[in-house]
Amino acid sequence: MAKILVVDDEEHIRLLYSEELRDSGYEVITADSGYKLLERIEEEKPDLVILDIKMVDYDGLDLLQDIRNRFYDLPVILSTAYDTFKEDSKSIAADYYVVKSFDLTELKKKIAMALETHLPG
Amino acid sequence: MIAVEENPQHVQQADIVVAIPTFNEAAFIGRAVEIVGRGLREHYPDRSSVIINCDNHSVDGTREAFFQAPVEVPRLYLSTEPNRRGKGANLRMLLEKLTTLAPHAVLILEADITNMAPVWVRLFLEPVFRGAAYVTPLYVRHKYESTLTSGVVYPMLRCLYGRRVRQPDAGDCAFRGDLVPVFLNAPAWSQAVEGTGIDVWMGTVALTSRVPVWQTLIGSPKRHRAKDPFAHLASRFRNVLAAMFDQMAAYADFWKRVKWSKPTALFNLDGQEMDNPPLVEINAARLHQRFLEGFQENEGLWRQVFEPAAMNKLDEIRRMPYEQFTFPSQTWAAVLFDAACAYRRFQDEERLRLLDSLMPLYLGKVVAFVKRTERMSVQQAEEYVEETCSIFEEYKPYLVDRWPS
Repeated sequence: MAKILVVDDEEHIRLLYSEELRDSGYEVITADSGYKLLERIEEEKPDLVILDIKMVDYDGLDLLQDIRNRFYDLPVILSTAYDTFKEDSKSIAADYYVVKSFDLTELKKKIAMALETHLPG
Repeated sequence: MIAVEENPQHVQQADIVVAIPTFNEAAFIGRAVEIVGRGLREHYPDRSSVIINCDNHSVDGTREAFFQAPVEVPRLYLSTEPNRRGKGANLRMLLEKLTTLAPHAVLILEADITNMAPVWVRLFLEPVFRGAAYVTPLYVRHKYESTLTSGVVYPMLRCLYGRRVRQPDAGDCAFRGDLVPVFLNAPAWSQAVEGTGIDVWMGTVALTSRVPVWQTLIGSPKRHRAKDPFAHLASRFRNVLAAMFDQMAAYADFWKRVKWSKPTALFNLDGQEMDNPPLVEINAARLHQRFLEGFQENEGLWRQVFEPAAMNKLDEIRRMPYEQFTFPSQTWAAVLFDAACAYRRFQDEERLRLLDSLMPLYLGKVVAFVKRTERMSVQQAEEYVEETCSIFEEYKPYLVDRWPS
């Protein structure tokens, strides 16, 4: 069972993602901020991270860079209320992005693609 | 292969090699050497370095201008035989020389970049010192600049080899010294690679070598001396596609196992000030005319090469009035995938004819891209390119199923 780490400072999003993704057969763990996120990833070894871009105390795009520098191939899906973040070059380090919605069809599709991605070697 | 070597400072080893390939670049190489020399002094004063001019036996005084540039960094001049031309030939010669110099990091920069700055030396080389094996630039580009990259090279290399390297054929790159024997022993070296296919060839070798590939954000456009972007398009198009298709045969076991794609690591993302790219104008009506003329010249061949569904779609596209012209990305993917399979089956002369026949279709795709993105910002056009790449990735099983064993 793939383990997904959801990082979002909005409780209702963490709850929504957790319930829906567990129903889809994933193990879900959550974090409510970027505090000690790299250590958490090191400890929990998730297969994929869903990362909120705008949190009260943290910039998700900076966290994405930290993740990419330390865990080069860990899939990261950016989750955002608006898609204006794409103007920031840092966003291209993400595997995929989704606009937050109560319908998680797109998110589930992107999760499946990210987990299926295969590069030889 | 090295026909001429001048090594006045008797350089035997260097941590850093900066190579500048040339053919008749006397007007530009002096400035390039000066900028590189400043970059090396400012950013890597404690590392041994050498600047190498890899030349195609220029007759305009390139060699003299190279040695006359006022820098303290040691210099070394290499040249091919008088009748041997092409950037690939220059770089092959460089790779042979690198086996004895044993550098830690190598940077290749084109001579005629008019806005090169000393910091570029750091932007390319620092990722190598931080763990990258191969580094490609991310220059700021107008949406219509390098449509061959946006419409062919990037979507194809991304769906084949699984890494999102946006400008894999930018012409400039850096790599770790231990990739030198990998390049020297890599398959599918050809006449096309000796010419302008070299950039795609090197990028593909790196992508299939299971080494860390990074992109470095330059924050500026790459400004060349003034030249007509369509002047050498036919030969460049043929060389790039030939190199790509030849490598597809060599690396079929690799790319058939690749599913979807992953981003690369990025360098220089903090505090980046972006320059505006220079405007690129395209005469879409003229390109549309060349697209239509292509049917008269190539329709018979295309019916042999393309699956009936793709050919029917091309017929539909041909009948569209210019005002409503579109070229769906799925059809474009099918065209390139079918062409790659046919190239694999064909022999020499047929292959050249096939490659040349694809040019009008490529121009048709450029017309569709221009019409689709004319009111878009550069960023929005970039998102459209990304969508095209996703379609290539989704459609890849079509290629895997048809690839001739």
